Amino acid sequence: MTAIRIDGLSKRYDGAAAVTDLTLAIAANQFVTLLGPSGCGKTTTLRLIAGYLRPDAGSIDVGGRVLSSPQSVVPPEHRGMGMVFQNYAVWPHKTVYENVVFGLKLRRMPRQEARQRVERMLALVNLAGLGDRYPASLSGGQQQRVALARSLVVEPDILLLDEPLSNLDAKLRERMRSELKALQRRTGITFVYVTHDQAEAMALSDQIAVMHRGRLMQFGTPREIYGRPANRTVADFMGLINLLPARIAAAAGGSAVVEAGPLRLRLALPSGVTDGARVVLGVRPEAVALAMAGAADAVEGCVEEQVYLGNLSEYRIALADGTRLRVQAPAEADFRIGATVAIAVDAASCNLFTDEGTEETP
Amino acid sequence: MAGAILALVILILLPVLTLLWSSFAGSAGLTLGHFARAFSHRLYLEALLNSLILGSWTALISVLIGVPLAWAVSRTDLPAKGFVRLTATLSYLSPPFLLAIAYVNLFGPNAGIINDFMRNVLDAPALTFNIFSMAGLVVVTVPHTYPFVYLLVASALRSVDAGYEESAEILGAGRIRTALFVTMPLVAPAILSGALIAFVNAIALFGSQAIVGMPARIFTLPTRIYALFDYPPQYGIASALSLVFVAITVGALTLQRAYLARRSYITLAGKGVNAAPMRLGALRWVVLGFVVVVFVAAVLLPYGALLAVSLSKSWGLAFWRNLTFANYHFVLFDYDPTRRAIVNSLILAAAAATLAALLGAVVGWIDLRTETPGRRFLDYVALVPLGLPGIVMAVALIEFWLRMPVPLYGTLAILLLAYWARYLPLGVRAANAALRQVDPSLEESARCLGAGWGRTLTEITLPLIRPGLFAGWLLIFVPAIQELSASILLFSSNSITLAVAVYNLYETGALEAVAALAIINMVIIGAAILLANRIGGGGAAERAGVSG
Repeated sequence: MTAIRIDGLSKRYDGAAAVTDLTLAIAANQFVTLLGPSGCGKTTTLRLIAGYLRPDAGSIDVGGRVLSSPQSVVPPEHRGMGMVFQNYAVWPHKTVYENVVFGLKLRRMPRQEARQRVERMLALVNLAGLGDRYPASLSGGQQQRVALARSLVVEPDILLLDEPLSNLDAKLRERMRSELKALQRRTGITFVYVTHDQAEAMALSDQIAVMHRGRLMQFGTPREIYGRPANRTVADFMGLINLLPARIAAAAGGSAVVEAGPLRLRLALPSGVTDGARVVLGVRPEAVALAMAGAADAVEGCVEEQVYLGNLSEYRIALADGTRLRVQAPAEADFRIGATVAIAVDAASCNLFTDEGTEETP
Repeated sequence: MAGAILALVILILLPVLTLLWSSFAGSAGLTLGHFARAFSHRLYLEALLNSLILGSWTALISVLIGVPLAWAVSRTDLPAKGFVRLTATLSYLSPPFLLAIAYVNLFGPNAGIINDFMRNVLDAPALTFNIFSMAGLVVVTVPHTYPFVYLLVASALRSVDAGYEESAEILGAGRIRTALFVTMPLVAPAILSGALIAFVNAIALFGSQAIVGMPARIFTLPTRIYALFDYPPQYGIASALSLVFVAITVGALTLQRAYLARRSYITLAGKGVNAAPMRLGALRWVVLGFVVVVFVAAVLLPYGALLAVSLSKSWGLAFWRNLTFANYHFVLFDYDPTRRAIVNSLILAAAAATLAALLGAVVGWIDLRTETPGRRFLDYVALVPLGLPGIVMAVALIEFWLRMPVPLYGTLAILLLAYWARYLPLGVRAANAALRQVDPSLEESARCLGAGWGRTLTEITLPLIRPGLFAGWLLIFVPAIQELSASILLFSSNSITLAVAVYNLYETGALEAVAALAIINMVIIGAAILLANRIGGGGAAERAGVSG
């Protein structure tokens, strides 16, 4: 199987940078997601990998062979990749069978063998028996599976997927998500998946590349990305987080006390940060525990708002200095609006960001 | 791709450049002499002035007819809306030069049957109308041009939110007041845009201006340019006059684009939700009466007259006493050019439609699907013929091919080039619209599976844009079969076309035979439309049926 090496890749459209100096090494057999808000350059990256676009700088290398560079681009038809589009791109004038068999016909596979391969693939994506139907008579989810089958039947080394689930309704999305993951495990094909949905990325990926304004922010496992975001942008994009202005006090031996309003936390000190430095403290809502007020030294806050979400309750807590904290707590504890509560923050799951938002906390 | 570029260069770029060159070329180098003459000599100034007068009157009356019809169809509970649409369609499809011939039979100063009736039966010479006049020219031109206003305004009205009108009514404005002071201003850009299109189309028509204008010594730009080709041809002044003609056309079309662009803010403002249509009450009969008058004047009267003339031995008040098919026999079997003209026109129209649709598809594809440098320029060149009236296109082709070593002048080939170039913009537009319907990802996924661009084009793109291309083909075929403005300068006895045959026969004064040929002409056009609709419509419907 094949690894993808992207080195110093840049692409501009009419002067506007879409991707800037992107370097990324994707290992074989991995499910890798390019994640970011719209306009972050993830789709451009995918189209560069597919060979639809020519890079302005840098190179893309697959299995030790340079496929894209500013000098030459191997055209899409000679890359042996598959691609699944957001709008499925299933050909409306061909039946399901004709759609799927297209790539095999191009490879001059004997008719009988091709038929068997297509039937097997249709069964794999739960479309057995629908070969004679036209796409217009299929549901969105079924069309998406036709697109998948069409890409997979030619056994590509790499499958590129551009927001393939975003046009499906929530229930179907959930189901296709687990089908996709299972399919990737079973086939061992390297999946490069583009999405703006962080939950989808977390659920599917072995590795996530978070992109922002054309640049790579962080590349790592879902656990690393969520638990140890490289900067404020990543932290903010990956789920909810409280970002509190804070100050370093009493730095000593690699750790320091961090003061954010009335909160005092002992955290490991990022390199290059000295006593008195202004930083930003990132606190996930689930890293805050609430208890009835009473203990003498506990920080206290006032419940301003409570929203019951079924599996948990979400609170907005106002601290003494006016800082507001978003907190998620188990649903059974029930603190009323106006109640005073004691607050305990799990320092181990907190992160420090310098104000520029680029420094990583160890 | 190289073929497409070569085709554009030969079809359009070189002829237009030759036209430009020869308008400045004198016996001793470059000169402004031709333009100086065009703007100082009475003959040419008159032609220019007459064209502007004709265009302005036609545009104004087209608005007065097209706007009420559009309003009635899209905003009111007028009964028989299908009849309004039919009237507009038939008016548009009927060839203007046939209409002119029909009106000559009705309102010719001496032989016109209605004038005869007024003078000799009613004894009311004051009620006669001389068709050989500027007013007559406007009358025979308007039926061809008001449908442009009607179509543009009707589509604009459909996108105006009924809320605008309802809020005027709830404030106490009556129906007419609402229509005049709320609805009409909202679609003013569409009205102006339609008026300019009517203007451009009106001044470009050679046939009606020759048939109705020349006997009255009313020369316009097309007829004056035509006269300049009488022996000895005056190429320099003809080219200069052609360029003036192009300048007027392009100027009007540029204005029109600007107005049309402004229409968008209306469609953005409203959601296009239409409440119940306005109730006309007793007014509906007035509106309906108006539609009937238009139908009678533009369709029933002229074609009824042509039919009657074609069946009569000698046209006049007592024509019904001696009905005969002799005229049909004459034009079909005795008049030599007829059958050749029919065959030529069918071949030319089919070939031009096919070539223009194909070249249009290639140009559209290069523009929308490739990164070829200069692809925008290619697109512009393909649209240049929009600014060239038919006769100007003919002048450009003649001057270019006379300079070439290939003897093309007088052959069917030069006519084919003229038609191909003239109707190329229609082909480009059809292909553009069709290609925009096809998401690029449909082609990209074929590439990704290993299909090269040729395979992608034949297996994916062409099948998907086929219905759109066919619609474009039809859009070209129908006007091409009745083309006169360019053919009149380019034909020879071997390459005569249907419209030219009608025109030449008319010149000989055989009114009854001309009418018969005109009716045959109409039958061919009608049959072509029906047949094409059957083939195209059937195929398209079948496809839509299978794929949803």
